Amino acid sequence: MIEAQHLTKRYGKTVAVNEVSFTVKPGQVTGFLGPNGAGKSTTMRMILGLDAPTSGEVRVGGRPYHQLGDPLRSVGALLDAKAIVGGRSAANHLMWLADSNGIARRRVSEVLDIVGLSDVAGKKVGTFSLGMNQRLGIAAALLGDPETLMFDEPINGLDPEGILWIRNLMKSLALEGRTVFLSSHLMSEMAQTADHLIVIGRGRIIADAGTDDFINRHTAASVRVRAVEQDVLAEALTQRGALIDHSPDGAMAVTGMDSAAIGGVAYAHAVTLIELAPLGSSLEDAYFDLTKHETDYAAAQLVGATQGA
Amino acid sequence: MSTATYTIDATHLTITASPVRTPKIGRVVKAEWTKLRTLSSTWRTAVMATAISIALGTILCVSQVQQWSNMTAQQRLTFDPTSCSLFGVVFVGAVMLAALGVRSVTAEYSTGMIRSTFTATPTRRRVLAAKAGVTAAFVFPVALVADVVSFEVGQRIFTGKHLQVSFGHPGVLQAVLFGAVAVSLIAVIGVGLGGLIRHTAGATTALVLVIVGGVTLGQLLPAGLRQYVPGTALQAAVTVNHSAGLLKPGTAVVVLGVYAAIALAAASIRMSHRDA
Repeated sequence: MIEAQHLTKRYGKTVAVNEVSFTVKPGQVTGFLGPNGAGKSTTMRMILGLDAPTSGEVRVGGRPYHQLGDPLRSVGALLDAKAIVGGRSAANHLMWLADSNGIARRRVSEVLDIVGLSDVAGKKVGTFSLGMNQRLGIAAALLGDPETLMFDEPINGLDPEGILWIRNLMKSLALEGRTVFLSSHLMSEMAQTADHLIVIGRGRIIADAGTDDFINRHTAASVRVRAVEQDVLAEALTQRGALIDHSPDGAMAVTGMDSAAIGGVAYAHAVTLIELAPLGSSLEDAYFDLTKHETDYAAAQLVGATQGA
Repeated sequence: MSTATYTIDATHLTITASPVRTPKIGRVVKAEWTKLRTLSSTWRTAVMATAISIALGTILCVSQVQQWSNMTAQQRLTFDPTSCSLFGVVFVGAVMLAALGVRSVTAEYSTGMIRSTFTATPTRRRVLAAKAGVTAAFVFPVALVADVVSFEVGQRIFTGKHLQVSFGHPGVLQAVLFGAVAVSLIAVIGVGLGGLIRHTAGATTALVLVIVGGVTLGQLLPAGLRQYVPGTALQAAVTVNHSAGLLKPGTAVVVLGVYAAIALAAASIRMSHRDA
């Protein structure tokens, strides 16, 4: 369980995290989603007591991080897989971590086994690929068999097989009743892994909902329609409460009615349909819509059309 | 309330409380020792520092013997065969071994691994204290071996001119021992500089300036202050024939201890008040 209350972090005049409050519950994978620079890593560092909040507080398992006795037994975190001194072997790296929290050294080979690094346990970390470093970082997080796990962008730089492996690992850790908090800037990845989403943009929480709920609420399904008597149909549909967007190619994107209802209206008005195609709801679009005003470096600024925020 | 009930409660309490009540400083020390010993560069540095210290001491002893006939009576009178043979250890060996202390901090800051260290041990001054303690404990025996070997080799060289002293000579054993203590304290200063400067190159440069450069720059200071310069105090720690302008060996060790404490305290303040 992670509980943040009015968590704020300022660097000079820049507000990196602004009055953020949320609860990460055990037994599910919670995705921490936001564009780069939204404040995800800063929030995670504050949870771990690495950065001091300007105001507000955050507790893990009911206590501030620095009050946890042997914190690795309560919280396991992977922040940056490359942040590691390269001259030590994988096993020795895990060994000092184990020693620091009074964790039995046999646990080192156990976690190396879990992440599939047993064969390279004696190899120097400096020779590892990014994927291997990610696995080692996850092994380090699992070392103390903690109730709470945090991973900052864990799938960055991984191949599809590695991504699938991490996804399954997160889910199984949550199934064991652990709190799993996972950050990403990739909506599609989160939709497949997380049960719950906390979306952050420009340091503010802009959504906090179950993943299914989030998808339903933010991705209105639309239907692409073309008809011979297009104007007649458009008017009829509008009267029934549908929303219509006219696309440049002459078709209409209808939201608020499904294809069956649209077909019915067309029949009632003797309209000849040319095209009637339900469009898959794009989660990526929803995320983009939700965060475009919250992105620090909005592409729109480059085009010169609108201002970012 | 019966005594029996109380006993059962107490036992139960002890069992549930034990994982949290264990003293933590031992764990940090163990972790820092694991870190230090699992880097091959640690052992390479120890071997190199010992070899170079002995080699430099030997060179100085040989050159002193060769110049002996040209020396003035005063120079001959104040000649200290012990401190001469330990020259390599207190100047170059000290810096090389203290660099271990620097790197134990800067390597973690430059890679970002310091965050793993601080998530494992949130009390940062404990981490710093453990690094200092472990580095000093590692450096001490290395410096002692370098001291003893340098001393023995140097005295063999001096035998030709009958200048040699032995461990039995008053003050010699103390000089050899103080040399190792002083080098360990310099290593602690290294840990402090690492925590203050955070970059390996910068902190190592600062270390060299403080230890070696300080002696030269110290010439600019008034005579009374000159002896408190770290490099000069280091030299004083290994003297047997007390000479003017140098602190007494015991005082010199205390002065170095004060520098080490200041460096650690400053690093501790800086590390605790900054985001990692």
